[in-house]
Amino acid sequence: MNNTLLELKNISFKYKNNLILNKINLKINHGEKIALLGKSGSGKTTLISVLNGTIKPTQGEVKLFNKSFEELDRKQKSKITTIWQDLRLIEDLSAEQNVNCGLLAENNFYFAFKNLLNISSFKKAHKYMQLCRLHNSIFEKKIRKLSGGQKQRVAIARSLIQGSNILLADEPFNNLDPKLITTIKNLLLENVDKNNTKQSSKTALVALHRLDLLNDFDKVIGIRDGKIFFNIKRTNLKKLHLDKIY
Amino acid sequence: MNKLKLNYTSLSFLPILVCIPLGYQLITNIHFGGFKLFQEFLISAFNPKIDNEIIFTVINRLNETIVIGFFSWLVSIIFGAIFGILSSNIFYKILNIPNFFYGIVRSFLTMVRSIHEVVWGILLMQIYGINFSVGIIAICIPYIAVNSKVFAEQLETIEYKSFESINQINAPKFSSLLTLIWNPIINTFKNFGLYRLECSIRSTVILGLFGIGGIGTSIFLSFQTLNFRELWTYLWSLAILIILSGLIFKKIKFYTTNKILSIFFIAVFFITILFSFSYFLYFIFNINFENFNSVSSLFKSSSDLGLFDFLKLISETIILSLLSTGIAISLPPLVIGIFNNNTSKIFIKIFAFLLRLIPTPVVLLTLLTFNNPSISLAALTLGLHNAGITSKLLFSNLDSQDKRNYIAMKSLGISKKTSWLLGIFSQQSKSYLAYCAYRSDIIIRETAIVGVIGSVGLGWQLQESLSSFAWQEVTIVLIAYCSIAIVGELINGKIKNSLT
Repeated sequence: MNNTLLELKNISFKYKNNLILNKINLKINHGEKIALLGKSGSGKTTLISVLNGTIKPTQGEVKLFNKSFEELDRKQKSKITTIWQDLRLIEDLSAEQNVNCGLLAENNFYFAFKNLLNISSFKKAHKYMQLCRLHNSIFEKKIRKLSGGQKQRVAIARSLIQGSNILLADEPFNNLDPKLITTIKNLLLENVDKNNTKQSSKTALVALHRLDLLNDFDKVIGIRDGKIFFNIKRTNLKKLHLDKIY
Repeated sequence: MNKLKLNYTSLSFLPILVCIPLGYQLITNIHFGGFKLFQEFLISAFNPKIDNEIIFTVINRLNETIVIGFFSWLVSIIFGAIFGILSSNIFYKILNIPNFFYGIVRSFLTMVRSIHEVVWGILLMQIYGINFSVGIIAICIPYIAVNSKVFAEQLETIEYKSFESINQINAPKFSSLLTLIWNPIINTFKNFGLYRLECSIRSTVILGLFGIGGIGTSIFLSFQTLNFRELWTYLWSLAILIILSGLIFKKIKFYTTNKILSIFFIAVFFITILFSFSYFLYFIFNINFENFNSVSSLFKSSSDLGLFDFLKLISETIILSLLSTGIAISLPPLVIGIFNNNTSKIFIKIFAFLLRLIPTPVVLLTLLTFNNPSISLAALTLGLHNAGITSKLLFSNLDSQDKRNYIAMKSLGISKKTSWLLGIFSQQSKSYLAYCAYRSDIIIRETAIVGVIGSVGLGWQLQESLSSFAWQEVTIVLIAYCSIAIVGELINGKIKNSLT
């Protein structure tokens, strides 16, 4: 049985004559948890943007569920959720409204309207915000009034509420203290529902800088200058590998 | 020798050089026939007519002005927001509509707003006769286009990353669109909407001068009969209305988090749209089409307007715009800089308020009592009126400016004027020039009003052509107006972009 969920075939991406991604081939199987390592500017964010279909590669093919992005319908595309490095929250909306934005895909226009008017239900949003250890007092606060760590958790709650099976995250543990990192890591990598019960296994590709967080990942991919230098099981990772990319 | 280097501060003062040719023409055009009238006009300001009859008239006329101003504001702000969305790139990006349509909508709105509401009013009055609806429609047409530009500019500031983020959630397209545009629209309404109500009231007054009704008509009639005391009663009551509305607006705050208020605004929004459409249909189907027949010969009537005369009128309009803009940019910082003390500030503020308050046609007619009609006189009138507006912005920016540099400079023994120039004004000059670039768009459009009264440029030709039902000439003049305004808007847009 074909277990491949996401596949990149010979992907290259050029921006202003700079080759950001260079002939990348990658398969992500169902339930795999992959850590993406590399220096700043190595191409990690671009790779994530190609995987979620935000940017089109200059060359090559991206396949999700064995279909190209153009062939997928909106529901299938919404199976992927992304946590961006720069969070990309809507600054003028409150924290709870931003988290509710994660529900836009499964609801109609009227829900979006009610969310903006503050008359929709925020029950679900509050559950996920509490899971991310966000205090009640910040629920109604505008994003621009929150600290870096609080914003980070709002972005994570927005991603979790989407209930997607595939997680792409670009340095999601930035701005978080060590205790919170463990909690958030468990939330992101395990499919937990609003009652904190573990559901089916989640597929995740997470860009990281901190090597001490690798323990929960199955595989590690090392990227440098837009090229994949290694794609190995975490247990096989050696210092030699890291020397190649850092 | 050192090369002359221009910076934003010096660029704010340089345009005052327009006063050299302007002053020369004004001096050579002086006549002494109307000095007595001018003197009477000024004295009447301190002795307005107050009796029961006039108070009753003032209340009635202000009522009419408020009704026209309010409804034209409400309709133009709501449709302005809708057209703002339709002319913003985010709409086309989210709905995957080709950019070609974006260009078409933008060009159409640019053309619509290039023609001043007075011109729309005169045109519509020729076709439909005088009534309130014509006043509201005449203001709404260009105002919708002007407001749409402001809304669209705010929507263009939405970060591409936010768009990508919402897009990646794969929500229905209209949900994504609404979520992204909601706050920029609300914020624009909060910051800009109430100011536009003041503009609507001013435009109603100006249209009133051309017979549409309201206090403007009373102002014009009392001016025509040289009843200056009565004229000042109307002007002061208008001043009270504007001051009061300003005070009320300062107190009003919109809480979008208040559910009942939000629902109320949404209800007003939809009721206005419904009402506007039904009223528009009623207006179209219940109109006396006899007048309309005269327009049907739009392209049949012949034109006596020669190419040379026409080019002369265009160049007059351009010169008029440039001279007025020069005054509007440089006069406020120059006067504030020279008379830089607290007492003078109060007098300058009062004078600037009067310049904004008194409609330009009235100022021009007053100045005509001792000066022959000329481009310079029209430019002075338009320039002074707009200087009143630019000085309001400059004052509010200067008052909120950090004074530490100014204090530090003064403590070094630098003169008060130089310290003000370098320590305070220099920090505001860039944003001030950017606002003036936007203002010059409006000045180009306003040349139509002073042109009609002051026998200058295309405005005068428009009035002449309309009076003689020479529709082909009217069409040519309108096309010329559109072209000048569009080119002006493009140039000013480039200047504004380089300044912001």
